[in-house]
Amino acid sequence: MKKFLSLLLVAAMLLGVTAAVYAQDKSYLERAYEGEFKGTTVIFDGPFIDNDQVLFEESIKEFEEKTGIDIQYIGNKDFESTIQMRAEGGNAPDIADFPQPGLMANLAAGGYLLDVRDAISEDWLKENYSQSWLDLAMAKDKDGNDIMAGIWARNNAKSQVYYRPAVWAEAGYEVPTTWDEMMALSKQMVEDGETPWCIGIESGGATGWPATDWIEDIMLRTVSPETYDKWTKGELKFDSPEVRNAIQILSDLWFADGFVYGGRKAIASTNFGESVKPLFYDTDGCMMHRMGNFITAYFPEGLTPGVDYDVFYLPPIDPQFGNPYLGAGDVYGMFVGHDRDEVKAVLDFFSHGESLKFWLGQGGAMFPGKDADPSWYANPTDAKIAGWVANASTFRFDGSDLMPAAVGAGTFWKGMTNLVTGSDIDSVIKEIDAGWPAK
Amino acid sequence: MTGKTASLKRQQKMSAFFVNLTLIFICLLFMIPIFGIFITSFRQSEKIFNSGWWTFFPHKVWQETGEIKLDKDVDLNGIISITLEDGTKVEGDYTTLKNGVFLPNGTKVQYIGAKRTRTIKLSEKRWLGFETDLTLENYKNVLTGKAISYKGEDGSILTRNGTDLSKSFINSFAVTIPSTIIPILIAAFAAYGFAWLNFRGRKAMFTMVVALLVVPLQIAIVPVLQDFSKVNLNGTFLGIWLAHTGFGLPLAIYLLFNYISELPRDILESAFIDGATNFTIFTQLILPLSVPAIASFAIFQFLWVWNDYLVALVVLGGGNNEVVTQTLANMVGTKGQDWHLLTAGAFVSMVIPMVVFFSLQRYFVRGMMAGSVKG
Repeated sequence: MKKFLSLLLVAAMLLGVTAAVYAQDKSYLERAYEGEFKGTTVIFDGPFIDNDQVLFEESIKEFEEKTGIDIQYIGNKDFESTIQMRAEGGNAPDIADFPQPGLMANLAAGGYLLDVRDAISEDWLKENYSQSWLDLAMAKDKDGNDIMAGIWARNNAKSQVYYRPAVWAEAGYEVPTTWDEMMALSKQMVEDGETPWCIGIESGGATGWPATDWIEDIMLRTVSPETYDKWTKGELKFDSPEVRNAIQILSDLWFADGFVYGGRKAIASTNFGESVKPLFYDTDGCMMHRMGNFITAYFPEGLTPGVDYDVFYLPPIDPQFGNPYLGAGDVYGMFVGHDRDEVKAVLDFFSHGESLKFWLGQGGAMFPGKDADPSWYANPTDAKIAGWVANASTFRFDGSDLMPAAVGAGTFWKGMTNLVTGSDIDSVIKEIDAGWPAK
Repeated sequence: MTGKTASLKRQQKMSAFFVNLTLIFICLLFMIPIFGIFITSFRQSEKIFNSGWWTFFPHKVWQETGEIKLDKDVDLNGIISITLEDGTKVEGDYTTLKNGVFLPNGTKVQYIGAKRTRTIKLSEKRWLGFETDLTLENYKNVLTGKAISYKGEDGSILTRNGTDLSKSFINSFAVTIPSTIIPILIAAFAAYGFAWLNFRGRKAMFTMVVALLVVPLQIAIVPVLQDFSKVNLNGTFLGIWLAHTGFGLPLAIYLLFNYISELPRDILESAFIDGATNFTIFTQLILPLSVPAIASFAIFQFLWVWNDYLVALVVLGGGNNEVVTQTLANMVGTKGQDWHLLTAGAFVSMVIPMVVFFSLQRYFVRGMMAGSVKG
């Protein structure tokens, strides 16, 4: 009897080992597609709601049907301000969408995030993402070890200017290829009685962020990528010739007489989403709008991309820095204690372009990985931008999202808003630098 | 003697007049923004962003009365001169005309658009009546969910309704009603005990309860969450009931204590002599007599819990448990663009607290007075 029992035990152990080996051969995602996790639920939380929520839910529908995993998206407007509290209180979701890598790094440092390489094979990640995206996903955990705290599932691009080709053709304007040409064109437009630019930086509590995007774009065009990285890390102060120069270049464009719709005073009080509307006025509107590709959601309805509006690349300032591109994105992380197999499978799914295919077809989103087919983009301007991003000499992440929140989502926004409303450069620079946390 | 009374009366009248004036002024101050939100909730979304709500009222606007096209040979960089139909001559360069030239008869002559349009428009200020294209669409969208449209795989446009308020209303009731009743029950017992029972440490305990009044709930929320997660209460309604009960109790006890301790001692003593137990006294005498205080606290607690956003967000989470405040906050859209829905939603969500307030209102003033006189 004893012998039988021990035999049984050995058999059971062997079975367990083979099962484990069998399981390791296949990725969690493959196992999910085989239906292994049918009936399980994965809680997903993030900051996007309404329109974007519908698009997200439609994007994952097919996956849910195929695998039988129910991905419950919660979504709340105050995700960014409550996720830390919820993680500390032990009420975190399984997977969360972080719109800023800084927020992800905070949670990783608190020991709340797992290394995504536990869930997804590193080979696949290296194959599908460029090194710069992988680097951006790295963070330090509680013990100071480097972990890959998330995967990039969605991105946007910001170094482009929207305009109306038909209007330009009628007025005889040509797309500028250098910054100087762009300034000259703006002057020409003013002489012709046009208003060249539409700019609005109001965005409720986040007022000022479009201005920081401009500064970042100018920085990328006037300094080397390495200097840019130093700047976002706080090693290069705002009180430096480089940043001063960038702010000066911005001021020369924004505050020149007649350059901006509504004048300088309207910039800070115009909502960024509303500021683009005059681009489509029949008369007395504006001619150019520089903004991230998500702005198309604010365009009037019924426009045909590529015909009614088009984009041109925000021209370089100093040719030695090539054609840099600025962008941002959403990174998905997995919480400690939530590393169930189905959660890993879902995370793996989000590292595939397939997970965003539906959304790409609707416009307003891009996939940072390489396996997203260009033909999936419904919007030709999005496809154009995706092409520029792919061929950019450097791609850099939105600097204000990389800086600590006290600066990137604090004094930088406020300082730029004050600059617009009339503060001088010196006091603005001082104000922004004061936001850096003491080391 | 009579003269003195008359002047006193006049004085009283004067002071009453000033009090009323101040009250009317304060009321107006509070009502104007609410009224603005009310009108905004009926306006079309594009109009909300184009003009203020006050343009709903009749006002004067420039209305076009004529248009002049300049000939091709007119030099736009020099002085442009135009002759109007009635023979008036208007002269000026592009910038002057762009800013508008005002004629003595009230006509404005203005260059429209860039130079290349070669268009000059004449306009006059005329009265415009009330805005007539108000809509109920915003309310419909709030109640049934905003239609969100997207392209299907075959290129057709599909629409899907976003979240609506009906489910959140049920959730809000499920949160609010127990969160109002539970603290009242406990607080009434506690207040009776503190007021009329002698036990050791009564004063110390009461001081502790009062001291808890000053603890802001924001600093308590993380420890509470941690404890909740140990006993799996996160994301449950029981959890949020307990949280609201805990945060509401100090005020409830304090308010009810002040009222109950004011009740005439004689009634309680005679009940004792007749052989009533503490429990009988509590249920037969104290509870019925404290209805005003209980009602006023019920209003406070109901409004507080109904309007609570933070506790619900953190403890309940969202998704299927979303309460009205969360749905409302999400209604404004990812980038805060849907003002028309936010304003309409605000009014819809206001209905319930209003009903509660007015149905308990007759107790309210008495109840507020109740605890305030003696500390």
